[in-house]
Amino acid sequence: MNQQQVLNLAADMGCALMGSGAEIYRVEESMERLLRAYGMDEAEVFAIPNCIIVSVTAPDGQPVTRMRRVGAHGTDIERMERCNDLNRRLCAETPPIAEAQRLLRAIPGQARRYNDRVSLLGYAFSPTFFAPLFGGGLTDMGCACLVGLLVGLFQVYGGKLFGGNGFFHTLVSSAAASVLALGLVRMGIPARLDVITISALMMLVPGVAITNAMREIMAGDVLSSLSHAAAALLTAVAIALGTGVGLALMQYI
Amino acid sequence: MYQYFLPVLWSFLACVGFTLLFNIRGWGIPITCAGGALGWLIYLLFGKTIPAALLASAFIGVYAEIAARLRRCPVTGYVLVALLPLVPGGGIYYAMRQMLSQDMDQARITLLETFGMATALAIGSMLSSSVFRASWSYVKRLHAQVHLHERHHHS
Repeated sequence: MNQQQVLNLAADMGCALMGSGAEIYRVEESMERLLRAYGMDEAEVFAIPNCIIVSVTAPDGQPVTRMRRVGAHGTDIERMERCNDLNRRLCAETPPIAEAQRLLRAIPGQARRYNDRVSLLGYAFSPTFFAPLFGGGLTDMGCACLVGLLVGLFQVYGGKLFGGNGFFHTLVSSAAASVLALGLVRMGIPARLDVITISALMMLVPGVAITNAMREIMAGDVLSSLSHAAAALLTAVAIALGTGVGLALMQYI
Repeated sequence: MYQYFLPVLWSFLACVGFTLLFNIRGWGIPITCAGGALGWLIYLLFGKTIPAALLASAFIGVYAEIAARLRRCPVTGYVLVALLPLVPGGGIYYAMRQMLSQDMDQARITLLETFGMATALAIGSMLSSSVFRASWSYVKRLHAQVHLHERHHHS
């Protein structure tokens, strides 16, 4: 068992965790535990959103460092839970490195994902029930479902169009939602514009970023926390601007 | 009774949609959605104000910590979705609307309220889960000490 292999294993584990949306402290802690379990007590791990740096010292005193970038990613709780379980198991049993690598690589295949159509269903489903929560009736529920579906189409299939630019992606999605909501109301459907727009906008709201920012400041990762808080603020601005497009149109049509 | 039942149900169902987006499976779905529903109930009971949101998110924080310990899973999965119905999406919308109609005073008030709401969510769940963790580790330590003591007596 050599240092480099353990280093690679830890880096892969960190990437897998971060890619599934784990908080920074979870990524760092898991990697540290893994390195300790494999006998590297002097290992250093540093993670910020989208980047992991891990460094160990070889027996001859030579430092070995590895940096990994993790691209834009969503949140995949199922995968995070599996990585977490595997990490706990590896720390307890410390199987040979090759075996550990094999187990880690098997996770993306094992952890099932809902396909795009089911995600789309989720996008239509939630606004339907947000509408009555915000004071809407049956017609509002139907309209919110349609507008939510449109937001889902933009969010699920628009990724290729907008690349990694989350700000623009959110802006366009919320503009589409607000224009469709306006169209439905102007067509004479007796729905309340605010209720159906807000219900659909709830799908874009930066709840995850707020939650992560707060969990990270709790763990003392001020840098990561700030970057998530900024992301939350930017997303909110994007939503406001997008809605503004629809609302401005309202004054002319 | 009836006035609380329906909103709680809607909140539960709204959370179900989000579990599909975050790939939550199995028992995680009812657990996190129940958290969202109960959080909303507390928000309603205390009158839909910012302090009510603080209490609701504090409750969700503790709820998620307990759920995560019972199931030995990361807390994130339970807190993420449960908080979402409380996120002030309406505030963003109304602030924009008031700004566009040149009603700057009202827009400022709405923005401040929205920001207060988001901060209440963050602080509430942060404080409650910090307190929970601190007391949890204290209880664990106490437990360990008692065990140590007993073993000492036996030997």
